[in-house]
Parts: sequence; structure tokens; C-alpha cells
Amino acid sequence: MDILIPLYSIIIQKALIGCVLAGLLCGLLSVFIVRITLSSIGYCMSHSAFAGAALAVAIGADPLFLALIFSSIMALITGPVTDRAKLPLDIVLGIAFSLNMALAFMFLSFTKGPFVREVLSILWGSLLTLTELDLQILLALCAIFFSLVYLFWKEYFTILFNRKMAEADGIRTRPLVYAIIFISGVVVAASLKLVGGLLVFTLLFNPAATVMQFLCDMRKIAVMAPIMGVFMCSSGLLLSLILDWPIGACIVITSTIIFAFSVILSPRRRRRGSFKR
Amino acid sequence: MRRSSQLREMRAIEVKNVSTVYEGESLPAISKINLSIDISELVYIVGPNGAGKTTLLETINGLLTPVEGEVFVLGRNIRGKAHEMRREMGYVPQNFSFDEWEPYTALQVVLMGRFAKLGLLSRPSSRDYEKALEAMKLLEVEELADKPIGKLSGGQQQRVLIARAIAKEPRILLLDEPFSNLDPRSRRRILEVLRGLQRKGTTIVIVTHVLEEISRDANRAVFMMDGRIVMDDRPEAVLRRIRKWTS
Repeated sequence: MDILIPLYSIIIQKALIGCVLAGLLCGLLSVFIVRITLSSIGYCMSHSAFAGAALAVAIGADPLFLALIFSSIMALITGPVTDRAKLPLDIVLGIAFSLNMALAFMFLSFTKGPFVREVLSILWGSLLTLTELDLQILLALCAIFFSLVYLFWKEYFTILFNRKMAEADGIRTRPLVYAIIFISGVVVAASLKLVGGLLVFTLLFNPAATVMQFLCDMRKIAVMAPIMGVFMCSSGLLLSLILDWPIGACIVITSTIIFAFSVILSPRRRRRGSFKR
Repeated sequence: MRRSSQLREMRAIEVKNVSTVYEGESLPAISKINLSIDISELVYIVGPNGAGKTTLLETINGLLTPVEGEVFVLGRNIRGKAHEMRREMGYVPQNFSFDEWEPYTALQVVLMGRFAKLGLLSRPSSRDYEKALEAMKLLEVEELADKPIGKLSGGQQQRVLIARAIAKEPRILLLDEPFSNLDPRSRRRILEVLRGLQRKGTTIVIVTHVLEEISRDANRAVFMMDGRIVMDDRPEAVLRRIRKWTS
């Protein structure tokens, strides 16, 4: 079967492993981002990573390294700035988003010589250039994030229900929420090669949003969202191989189509017009 | 010094000259409040909307930090220790409603009430489940354990939230408008449960703006208006005074 031939390629295998790992990470993260309404985090972190990568292109450094630095710094300061400014998190993230875009374009303007391929790989992703180091970073992030959620599951379970009630109960929510913000920054930077800086945030919404159309149990949502993330990323990669379309765009389009079908088929739609028991 | 600290230890709640201002506001929501509540007392805090009742409750619970004064709970100043002290307090917020598709069952919501006391890396045990179900049975919502919280009626949700606070086995219960959404029978049942807890040593503070909800079995009623305590006396005395003012 011709369609399976590319799968024998080491490059494609690495891309597939990258899809699995990034899908797991983004899938689980999407549960927090959707429930705690941290939607702007996706935009903000992806564009801070983009700004870091743009600086790297300008100075000839490793884009992933500076992308990680920028998104980590943004993630570290976002929580405390929000608390200090006494503003909703989304507003602070919106301001940071504009700043990061401005920095990115400024760094790109400093770049001398041809840089089209490097810039485009940051913007749209370059899954086929995943290295062993990229996969090791993704694997380490998986281990750290899944361990964090497993160890503090009852605290996160309560925060995902209602943060204020969790505080009223005596749970210290601030460090746990800051940890999620920090990890989201690092995950976005590490996932840049998957779909690129402009589109990676869709993977921070679609898996959980899709799964929540069918499931009404937070524990099941937390298990199924990573699986859905893997399914979305892998399906997009396979579609790209079949149609010879850009991988990053295929992943996003596939995940969006899956989400659209989930909305159409959701039991929530079927409830409308029926009597409540 | 030793005698005053011993006296302080006997009090469940002590609010000393407390004023609380919301962020962005210039006027305090509560001003120079002095209030002492002994262990095992059942106290109502009553007053019209905007009197500062919820603000006072949230200040006692440490969710709001006063700009002046101190709050002592079980003899300890909560400043800097609010999270620790909240583990001894059960809190039921007012006007809470859930989306129809909220992905939590009633039992999960009640069980969560015990999590803060468990310790950072611990998991809930069978005893925690038993205590959660016991609390649900007291509030007559046990049969709703596996139902999603969003699919329950307002009154059922309210009872689940009260069960959540009770499942925590708190030494102090703070309830903000707990009887809204409840029919008279449910209201009586909850009062019976609260009195039972009071007899076992739990201190109970109930906020309400509905005078008819005040039980004459309570130890005291505290009437608030415009952020200040206007009267602190036996329930019937407070009710008589309020009716005189409003007639």
C-alpha cells in the first residue's frame, strides 16, 4: 500500500511520535485552559514563543531555545502581574499578546540575509525537522506535567470546579494555577514545530472542547482530552501525507472538523426541545 | 496576658475593629466591626441588601483582607494563616448556580469539601466517601449522589452545597443565604441539622436578609446596616426593633 510507505521513513516516525507527545500535552492542558477560561493564554504564549524564535533567527541562535526562554518568562510573570494589577487574566494576556507580536516583527526586521524558511517554520511549523532533542524535551514535559496533575489531582479537581470555592475550602490555588500558566508557556514553545506559532493555540482548546460535548464527568474528560489531542494531531499528519498539504495547517483543520462534528453529534443539541425530567 | 489569651481561645470568632474595602472602592464595605462569637453559638447576621453581611462573612473566612483591625478564629489571628484556618471552616456561598452541563456529580461536589483537610499528596479514602454520603443523607440528597450537579433543581443544589460544607466536619460553619431556593419543609430540615451540629460543638453563623428565616432558637441575631453593626441581641429583641423601625 503506497499510503503506508512514508511511515517507514524515520522522519515521519519522529513526526508521528512528536504528534503523540504534543497531542498528549496539549490535550491535557486544554482541559485547564477551557475550564479556567484561560483562552488568551494560548494566543499569548504562542506569540511570546514566536517572538523568542524571531529573535533567535535574527541573531542566528536556536529558535526552540529562545522560544522556550521567552514563553517561560511570559508564563512566570503573567500570574503575579495579574494579581498585582488586579485585572482579569485575559486582559493582561491580551496586552502581552500585542507586545509579543510587536517584538517579533521588530526582531524580524533586524534579520539580515535570507530568512524566509526559518521564519515560515516558526510561523507554520516544521514537524518533519523534529530532532531527537525535540522529542526528548516533549517526553520530559509529558512526564513532568502528567506527574504534576496526578500528584495534585484532588486540588486541581477542586480548582477546575470553582477556584473561589477551592480557596474558601483552604486550598492554595495560586501556586497551582501559576504552575499551569508556566507549563502552558513551555508546552507551547516545545510544540512550535508541530503547527507553528500562529496556530498552536488551537490545540489548547479543541481537544477539551470536543470531549466536553459528550462527557459529563471531569475525570473522564481529563483522560479523554489527551487521547483526543493525540487523535487530532495524528489524523492531521496522516491527512497531510495523503493529500501532500502543509502538516501544521492539516492538523488544525482536522482538529477543527472533528470539533465541528462533535458539536453536531453532541447530546447537548439533542436535549433542546425535549422536556426536562 | 495568659488569662486574655485563654479567654480568646474560648471564642470561635473574634472580629476586632475591622474595616474592609473592596479593590477600587474608596468607602469601606464594612466599618469598625466588633463582634465576638463563642464556640457552639448559633448566630444570625441580618440586614438589608448591601449592609455588608457577605463582606463580613468573607472577611471572617479570610477571603477578604481587612484594611484595619484583626480577625481571630479559634483564638488565632487569621492574617497570614487564612488557608490554614479555612480548613476548620465550612463555607456556603450565596446565589450559586451551575451550568446544566457541569461535569461533576453531586457526590463529587460534596466529597471535594474534605480535600483541603487531607494533606497535599493524599487521596480520599473510603472514610471520606462515607462522611460525604453521611452529610448527603442528613440533607436528604443521598439519592442524588450520582446525578450531575447541573441537572438538579436550585433547592437540591443548595442542599448539596450545604452537605459539602458539613462533610468537611468543620468547627465553624459560615452560611450565606442558605435558605434561598428552599421550601419551608427543607428550611426546617436544614435548621434541625444545624442545631444538631451546634449541640455537638459546631459554631454556626448564618447570613440572611429575610427576617422570617431567623430562628428563635438562635443564641443571637446581629443586625447590620450600611456596613456597621447596629444591634446585637437575642433574636426576638432584634426582630422587635427591626419591625418597629420599619413600621
